[in-house]
Order: sequence, then structure tokens, then C-alpha cells
Amino acid sequence: MPDSRLWLRVAALSQLPDDAALPVRLGDVPIALYRLNGHVHAIDDVCTHEFALLSQGFVEDGAIECPLHQARFDIATGRCLAPPATTDLRRYAVRIEGDDIYVCAAPQGA
Amino acid sequence: MFLRNFWYVAATDSEVGRKPLARMILGEPIVFFRTEDGKPVAFEDRCAHRHLPLSMGKLVGDRLQCHYHGLQYDQTGQCVRIPGQDQIPPSAKVKTYPVVERYHWVWVWMGDPALADPAKITDFHWLDDQAWGAKASYLHVKANWQLVVDNLLDLTHLAFVHETTIGNAALAEHAVVKVTRAPNNVVVTRWIIDQPAPPTFVKVGGFTTNVDRWQIIDFVPPAFLRLDVGATPTGTGAPQGKRVGGITMRNLNAITPETEKTSHYFWGQAHDFDVTNAELTNRIFEQIQTAFYEDVAVFSAQQRSLDLIPDPPQVDINADTGVIQARRILARLHDEEQAALHVTAAE
Repeated sequence: MPDSRLWLRVAALSQLPDDAALPVRLGDVPIALYRLNGHVHAIDDVCTHEFALLSQGFVEDGAIECPLHQARFDIATGRCLAPPATTDLRRYAVRIEGDDIYVCAAPQGA
Repeated sequence: MFLRNFWYVAATDSEVGRKPLARMILGEPIVFFRTEDGKPVAFEDRCAHRHLPLSMGKLVGDRLQCHYHGLQYDQTGQCVRIPGQDQIPPSAKVKTYPVVERYHWVWVWMGDPALADPAKITDFHWLDDQAWGAKASYLHVKANWQLVVDNLLDLTHLAFVHETTIGNAALAEHAVVKVTRAPNNVVVTRWIIDQPAPPTFVKVGGFTTNVDRWQIIDFVPPAFLRLDVGATPTGTGAPQGKRVGGITMRNLNAITPETEKTSHYFWGQAHDFDVTNAELTNRIFEQIQTAFYEDVAVFSAQQRSLDLIPDPPQVDINADTGVIQARRILARLHDEEQAALHVTAAE
């Protein structure tokens, strides 16, 4: 069980593009960072349907669309919006310090 | 599945002349020829009388004469002579197709003739531009046209199918891939940074160091794929838009369905360096042609698998993003064409 007190530096804020995902590793877990309206969000990068890296998909209207089967997830909440996926993505708390992006090692609500 | 309201490449310019050329396109038999002043013409390849392909006939001036009973058709497809008969029945005519010659290709419009605007022809100017050296050719493919489109949108296959020419392991393992999409366009951008150049690039580009290599695949429906490919010595700034000390080429592809299970594959290779060196143009062309023969063998083997079990389950992998987006566009366009046909039929 990841420690909710553990925060890991995963990327520099200046690396993070607008309107596109930045795939990073949170320990062993592939997650993706997104910048929406000035806020940084961190959610799982693997689609809950089949294996696909969501960071290679399409960011539109605050959602990420899976590059392979068009499942969609809300970036801010991880909520599943469209099939064929049915399970939400886990989201992670984000903290910005200067140019460093820290992500909490334990998913929110876990 | 065919899309009709598009211009397709039907033939190379040298294939169409004063000897009728028979070519099936989207399942329709068509005969192509040139008038005495050089204008290309396309007819349904079937005499209105007893169905002999008109391509078996011959040109008499600007008229195409059927080989069977000598009926002659003018450029508009109207029968204008029936040997031994003065009166021509009004129904003695054949369908004609809009035709345009451009980029050394003869293009045919397969949909509603009222919509046949030559401005809609996809740009392939690199084949006909003094700033580029280019050579084009034709391959017959025993496979559905979409398999060829898939192939060009997922270039990880170069590492495996074409390891002796344009591929190497770096292509599949070290590429940074980005896919962007628009309603009728998919662009797959692949960068392979600081990796060895593949055999063909070493031969024609003379690279002795690692390179930054790009493959930018531009897909336009129904089956046009224009690839901007090249490499520069690593660290000279190509990813930032500065291409110096390397080579840039265009790999140009126009696939035309012949039937649901066979395709015409028109392709060419253009290069922006040493453009008047015909020997170099030929050498590059032959390297790519070697690779394309390898692809053609893959396509026909895929088609044989699909013939055994049509529409089987398949697994999608990360590299399929461009392929999947393009297939979605094609499916949507097909739905739109079918819906428009039903509206027309209902009116």
C-alpha cells in the first residue's frame, strides 16, 4: 500500500505542455500529467479497458480520449465518461513547488 | 467498403495512350484512352450492345470502336456509328467518367459527376516539381486497400519487414510518436533521436554518425499517404525545425481499390538534394521499391488470412493509434455517403 505521506517529484512544471499529456512514472505506476486552465492534474495513464497509454490519446474538452478504443475520462476527476471502459481512473494529489511537480504516492480515496 | 465521391489515381500518364487501357476501379470496369490531341478519356468498359469490353477494340480517330460488331463511340460515350444501320438508338451509349491528368497521373472521379471538382485532387506536386528529383511507379496488390493504408500509418513495421533497407531496430524501440487528428486528416509524427541511420540512409545520405530521423505521415481520405521523411546528424536541430546537413525525402502513396480484395498501388519517391542526378533518383527509388515488394508480400498474406476468417477479433497495440483514427474517418465518410444516397433515393 503506497504511503499517502510520501510525495514524489515526477517532472518539472516547465516540461508540461498545454493541451497534451506528459507520461511519467510514480514509482512503478505509469501516470500522466495534464495542465488544464492553469491546474496540474495527475491520473493513471493506463486505460481501464485494455492496455493503452492514454497519454498517447487526444485531449479535448477537459477529457482524455483513449487512442485505441475511444473510451473517455475526465482529466480532473478520473471519472469514466464513455465506453468501452467502465471503471474510473485513479487520481493523485499534486503539489507544485517552484518548477517541481510533486505527486502523492497513494491515489486519492485509496 | 468503397468511398465514391473522391478522385482516385487510375493510371500513370504513360499507361494511357492510343491503345485502350482496361482497368477495374472500385469494382467497375473502365477503359482509358487518349484522343488525337492527347486528352484522356474514360468509359465504362462494356459495349452497350453485347457487353464486350470496349478495351478489346481500337481507336478510329477519336472514336472507340468495339471489337465485336464495330459500333463506334465518341468522346461523350455516345454511339455514333452502327455498321449497316443508319439510325442510332438513343440508349446506345456508355457511361463516362470525369478524368484529369495531374502530377504524371491520370485521375478519375468515381462518384456523382456533378461533384467532380478538380480542385479536390490531393496535392502530389513533389512528383512534378523542379525543386525535387522524383520517380514513380505502380504495384498491383492482392489485398484490400485499407490494409495498405494501415501499413503506411504504422511505421514500426519497418524494423521487421524492411531491416535490409529503410528499417532498423531503433525505429520500433526508440521513436517518440505523436498523433494529431482533424475531421478528414490524421498526422503521425515519429522522431527517432540519436540513433544509427538505416542502410538506405547511409547509402544515399553518407551518414557516418548517429542521426535524428523523422517520419511525418500525412493521411488524407480515402487512401492518400504523403510521408515527409529524412534525417540529419544528431544535434544539428532538426527537431526544432532546422534541417541542415541531412536528407529530406517524400514518400508518396495513392491507393486505389480495384475490388474489395485487390488494389492498385501508385507510389513515388522524391528527394530534395542533388535533384537533377537521375542516377541518384533511380538508386533511391530502387531501395524503396525493394522495401515495397516486401510490403506487397505481407498484404497478400494478410488478405489470405482474412479470406479464411473474415472480420476476426484483433488486438490493438499502442502503435495503432494512427491506423485506428484513419479507419474511423473512413467509416464515418462511408456512413455519410450511404446516408446521402438514401436521401437521394427517397426523394
